[in-house]
Amino acid sequence: MSNALETTRLGKRYGRAWALQDCTLALPAGRVAALVGPNGAGKTTLLHLAAGLLEPTMGKVQIFGLSPRAEPHEALPRLGFVAQDHPLYKGFTVEELLTLGRKLNPRWDGVLARARMQKLGIPLDRRAGKLSGGQQAQVALVLALAKRPDLLLLDEPLASLDPLARREFLRTLMEAVAESGLTVLLSSHIIGDLERVCDYLIILSASRVQLAGDIQEILKEHKRLIGPRQDEAAVASVHTVIEADHTRRQTTLLVRSHGPLFDPAWEVQEVALEDIVLAYLSQQTASTRDGSAGEAVASASPSTQEHNGMEVLK
Amino acid sequence: MIWVVWRQHRGEGLIVLGVLALVAVFLVITGLEMSQSFQESGLGNCLAYAPENSPCSALQQAFENQYGFLLSLATFLLALPLLLGALVGAPLVARELEQHTHLLVWTQSITRRRWLTTKLALVLGASLLAAGAMLALLIWWRSPSAQFTGSFSNTAFDTSGPVWLASALLALALGIFAGTLARRVVFAIFLTIALFVAIRAPVELFWRPNFEPAITVTWPIGQTGPTLSPQDWRVAEGFIDAQGNKTNKLQCSGNLTIIQCLQANGAQANYITYQPGDRFWTFQWIETGIYLAFAVLALGAAFWLVRRRLS
Repeated sequence: MSNALETTRLGKRYGRAWALQDCTLALPAGRVAALVGPNGAGKTTLLHLAAGLLEPTMGKVQIFGLSPRAEPHEALPRLGFVAQDHPLYKGFTVEELLTLGRKLNPRWDGVLARARMQKLGIPLDRRAGKLSGGQQAQVALVLALAKRPDLLLLDEPLASLDPLARREFLRTLMEAVAESGLTVLLSSHIIGDLERVCDYLIILSASRVQLAGDIQEILKEHKRLIGPRQDEAAVASVHTVIEADHTRRQTTLLVRSHGPLFDPAWEVQEVALEDIVLAYLSQQTASTRDGSAGEAVASASPSTQEHNGMEVLK
Repeated sequence: MIWVVWRQHRGEGLIVLGVLALVAVFLVITGLEMSQSFQESGLGNCLAYAPENSPCSALQQAFENQYGFLLSLATFLLALPLLLGALVGAPLVARELEQHTHLLVWTQSITRRRWLTTKLALVLGASLLAAGAMLALLIWWRSPSAQFTGSFSNTAFDTSGPVWLASALLALALGIFAGTLARRVVFAIFLTIALFVAIRAPVELFWRPNFEPAITVTWPIGQTGPTLSPQDWRVAEGFIDAQGNKTNKLQCSGNLTIIQCLQANGAQANYITYQPGDRFWTFQWIETGIYLAFAVLALGAAFWLVRRRLS
């Protein structure tokens, strides 16, 4: 099965600072993937590299086996992209934005675009600049969807939206996914919303991929262990300890299990996705990684209670 | 893409067109008056049949007294290309970068090279048409006075041939380059003005007089100098002082005649440096070439920036 997005040791450097480094991941086609990470982790850089807006400094990025920079004629029509703050030509009417889409895209679906606008109650003769923030985001999304892309990249699409607009935006998105089976990669801070719509998770932190995989798998693999205070070395020899928290009497571990847990000294609990994400993000940097695509295994490190500027909104 | 460019830039286009229309109305009204006065005063016939006669110079003087100020206003028209560069060229790419709309348009199904090429072709084409129409009007406007002042001296040279068009293209190209480099419209506008002046002023003031070696004629004090055609460009004139230097500074006190004054200053001879009128077209094409070369350079740099640095 082909991957919608595949990166190999992808890196982007601005001056001396790496915005993204050594990023290897594979996003299977048909997934709706969430890209989470603290501010400055390289999420926007990764999305821009995938959309062909940026040239990689090292490594390579491919969408459906195509290089977005070297083969723009083949790759661009298959891509939909909504940038952060969903920029539109503010002086264009919605109708004119649709004309722009029609003129610039061979696979343009005008019927779909109009139907969506009508359903959303967005007047076609209104200038984009006069629409509400939520409506502008919707228009930007519809423009991207009407390209009939196979891969849709959304950069912080929910950040500037109120809860209601957020829900409507995600509804439009999910309808499109249900109809066309397109692959989606969206970056966000808002983990609660992501859990409702996404089935795949990529955690990016310190410009590296910390974790990538199916959300159900991730939830199944990650456990919280609570037991009397002890060293985590025994557990760490079999499983991967993501976060360890010691009080005077008790030790709490968040582990990625690689098999069944036998030690009856531990009480095993399910972990919420948000807690898993936070545990990965609070690791300062990943020390070791295995090289396989989309996999990153972090070594045990003491929890720091710092969340790297991660905003948690539910 | 053509429709998109038209839709996106029609606002600036209309503003430029509006300014040009105002200038055109002014030129047509004053131009009609000048050409009427030129014929009715008899100056036209005089210059046509008896250019050497003294009545001509009296009529000429009268015409210059009446319209000299108007004609000198043409100097301000030299800012028109700059208007094009600052208003159309500078925001062409910079506004997209400033409002992040480049992220929208560069992720449609066309390459950014084609995006920039289409923008450039249309904007340059439209500007060239507008500048051409303005040039035709300016040549007509100046046609009466050009018969006795020529078209070779500074402002007239700039508004009488392809240099005018090249200057418009240069301003536009510099604007686009500045916008791509600065990424901010306001900064780009200032950069455009600075670049344009930095290229045009030295060319006009120092390079143009030396495109071909100028001819210098000297003659003794008190005698009549050579007769120059109005089409010749008098680059410099004055006298040669005791040290053999060319100068035009005289310091005299009391009631001395001009000749006595010259002698008191140790003048050895009169001189005039000029470019003959038949070099007009050579000079036009040389300067056109210089501006076009800078324009091509600026556009090449803009393309490079869009494809490489903004990525």
